[in-house]
Amino acid sequence: MTDIAADQAANSMPTESGINRFARWLVRHPPVVTAALIALVCLVVGTINPDFWQMSNLFDMARSTVVRGLFALGVLVVLASGGLDVSFTAIAAFVMYVMTMLVTNYVPDLPILVILLVAALGGALLGAMNGLLVSTLKAPSLIVTIGTQYVIRGFLLTFIGTALFMNIPNAMDAFGKWALFQHTGANGAVSTMPVYVLVLALAIIVTWFMLNRTLMGRAIYAVGGNAGIAERLGYSLRRVHIFVFAYAGLLAGIAGIMHVSSNRLANPFDLAGSELEVIAAVILGGARITGGSGTVLGTMLGVVLITLVSNVLILVGIPSTSQLAILGLFIVGAGALFSIKPRG
Amino acid sequence: MPDSVTIKGRQSPAAASASPFLEVRNLHKRFGGVQALKGVSFVIERGRTYHLMGENGCGKSTLIKIISGAQQADGGELIIEGQRVESLDPIGALSAGIETVYQDLSLLPNLSVAENVALSGQLVAAKGRLARRLDRKALHRTAVKALSAAGLPTDAYFLATPVEELPIATRQLVAIARAIASDAGLVIMDEPTTALTRREVDNLVRVVRGLHDNGVSVLFVTHKLDECKAIGGTAIILRDGQKITECDVAEQSKAQLGFWMTGRQLDDKRYRETPHTGERRLAVDGLSARGFEDVSFEVARGEVFGITGLLDSGRNELALALVGIGPARRGHVSLDGTPVALTSPAKAIQAGIGYVPEDRLSEGLFLEKSIRENIIMAVLDRLRGPFGLLDGRRASALAQKTVDDLQVATPDINLPITSLSGGNAQRVLIGRWLTISPRLLVLHGPTVGVDVGSKDTIFRIIQKLANEGMSVIVISDDLPELLQNCDRIMVMRKGRIDQVFAAEGLEEDVLYRAMTAVSPVADQRRGVA
Repeated sequence: MTDIAADQAANSMPTESGINRFARWLVRHPPVVTAALIALVCLVVGTINPDFWQMSNLFDMARSTVVRGLFALGVLVVLASGGLDVSFTAIAAFVMYVMTMLVTNYVPDLPILVILLVAALGGALLGAMNGLLVSTLKAPSLIVTIGTQYVIRGFLLTFIGTALFMNIPNAMDAFGKWALFQHTGANGAVSTMPVYVLVLALAIIVTWFMLNRTLMGRAIYAVGGNAGIAERLGYSLRRVHIFVFAYAGLLAGIAGIMHVSSNRLANPFDLAGSELEVIAAVILGGARITGGSGTVLGTMLGVVLITLVSNVLILVGIPSTSQLAILGLFIVGAGALFSIKPRG
Repeated sequence: MPDSVTIKGRQSPAAASASPFLEVRNLHKRFGGVQALKGVSFVIERGRTYHLMGENGCGKSTLIKIISGAQQADGGELIIEGQRVESLDPIGALSAGIETVYQDLSLLPNLSVAENVALSGQLVAAKGRLARRLDRKALHRTAVKALSAAGLPTDAYFLATPVEELPIATRQLVAIARAIASDAGLVIMDEPTTALTRREVDNLVRVVRGLHDNGVSVLFVTHKLDECKAIGGTAIILRDGQKITECDVAEQSKAQLGFWMTGRQLDDKRYRETPHTGERRLAVDGLSARGFEDVSFEVARGEVFGITGLLDSGRNELALALVGIGPARRGHVSLDGTPVALTSPAKAIQAGIGYVPEDRLSEGLFLEKSIRENIIMAVLDRLRGPFGLLDGRRASALAQKTVDDLQVATPDINLPITSLSGGNAQRVLIGRWLTISPRLLVLHGPTVGVDVGSKDTIFRIIQKLANEGMSVIVISDDLPELLQNCDRIMVMRKGRIDQVFAAEGLEEDVLYRAMTAVSPVADQRRGVA
């Protein structure tokens, strides 16, 4: 009996030509394509302008992946569960502005660790609200988060304030400057790799562990694959929804503080409008917009690719307007490639 | 047979021998004004096969939902292993050892085979809480054990394959492996064999026997008499929310079982009576596409032409090529002597070819629309009134006429299509194509998921259409259906035509052997049990 069934299953995977098998392998491992694109961009830009390989440039890039990377991890988790979150920038802006204001006015000596913890908690609460709405109203999460994005941003600008904070609290300022290591270039210029990149590293490890090594992680993919079936199998949609949006909010809260620390000012108008770019990074990393897929590695590669394109093309004399077009082509290409489904 | 049952490891022997696995007592359930269950009682012993039989709407799906915890009963008792259960939710049913394999198999398409098989166990152990470490070693161990019990491969590649990449027959076995993995005492198979070929059904039967050896009972929910007879066991027959009788399927004739299910006398007579008129309507010459190669055949005016074969035979691809969905790469098709280029569904419709797909829900019907709109969908341009708007009166009249002609059971054509049962929805779909008065109607699995009574009506419709001169192609793996309805039956194998048979007087076994191209090993196969 084993023979026949095994034989049947074997029949389901007919022998294929090498090209076919490679294509199937690629579709199963989308980050490979992203990595190849990154290598291509690096090679082309690095060949035309060797300045690309300068430590200062690489450090710059690493710094600018932090906020985007934190956002992207949140988007990945929501996307994997079959939802879509566009309110994270508003949550980040809200948390960073309120925290900066509260710390400056009431507890100027609060240590950075506490600031980060409170920001994470605040972000998670706002995110959990999204999750609660999505699961109670049974409404599409894109619509719900468009709404909450406006509400949060409107509340911030109306009731909290619109003035810039130029003097941010000491702890945040120091955290932004705290060097992990420094490099002195040939021309004597000193470039710094800040400690706060470790926050992203930690977030990557935690998110990877959560998605791949906990039941919650598997439940997220299960719900993203088919919510109806997952519910029937005993997965609680409510728990998953609240968790993913709270998790995205938590990362957004931390990202807000990172943003203030690295820019040394808190502007309530900041971050708005970068939602699509972050979602694009996650899609470039191989996650399907319809949910149920996506990896942490792919997402980070997508973030690196977007950062590369928006930071370094200027080095080879491509004006920022055409950079957008190139980015757009990458996104369309990735969308087309990753929408190919392996045939059963 | 019940005496030789091996007791499952997870129970204490005393409890296991004392009581049956499940007892259902006097179950009641109503939905609004409809009384779906009117006091149903039965007992499921360990290590045996049961068939819950009845027509659509008889209450069998409601009953299954209650047993599997998806719905709560209004009255009555569930007694699992001697324990009265107050209320059952899905997790509760699973941890009590009741595993339901729904018709859609409840597999998560994006998760791997191993995860689909073994993740539920960990979820149940965690009582649905998700803040738990995933035990990957246990996952792997459980998956390998269950997959080999279901006769599936256990290599790393297969374990990591997303289920969406597997063919349907393998998916079914994966769903059974999940039931094995969760240490079920009762596996409920909800209409399990709708999409499987006979060889796959045979394989399923073997796996089920393996389950019995481990004391696991299986409850098939079905209305397919042939398969019940092939599998054997106890039939529990429901009609109109009540249990009509319980009997050993082997001791009853199909006619008797059918009578209990429907309350009417049914027989497996041949529906095809008038032979076709002989004038050539469809000529297919050297057609090739992905999945089939060099296919040539002709269908006469008023002929019912059957096409069958295993899933990989190319029959599905041929159907799609004939209706313009998966255009052919080479070859010619002509209708009434005029060559037609079937490069898109729209072209096929223009040429006068109607298509009723196999998967009604996802490919055929507009689920959010009314019955009326589903019927008029193909002829909107013909129903144009003044100013190019839809002429509502004519549209309604056409829809009403179609509903009447095809005996669709509905009080109102403006009700949503989802209010209809499978058989009635199928009739609406056929009706839609009749509005374009096609010269050729391609029916793909016309009675998949349709109950006995509706089947009869659909067969009568097919015959009526053919007698009026329409050519009908029926693509199906339900061999009795083809034998009852067709003039000729074409068997495909590995993408080529194997043979074309005259259906009159043809034996099912001959067809089956041509499909599988195996030497007569039927007896040998039965001996495996």
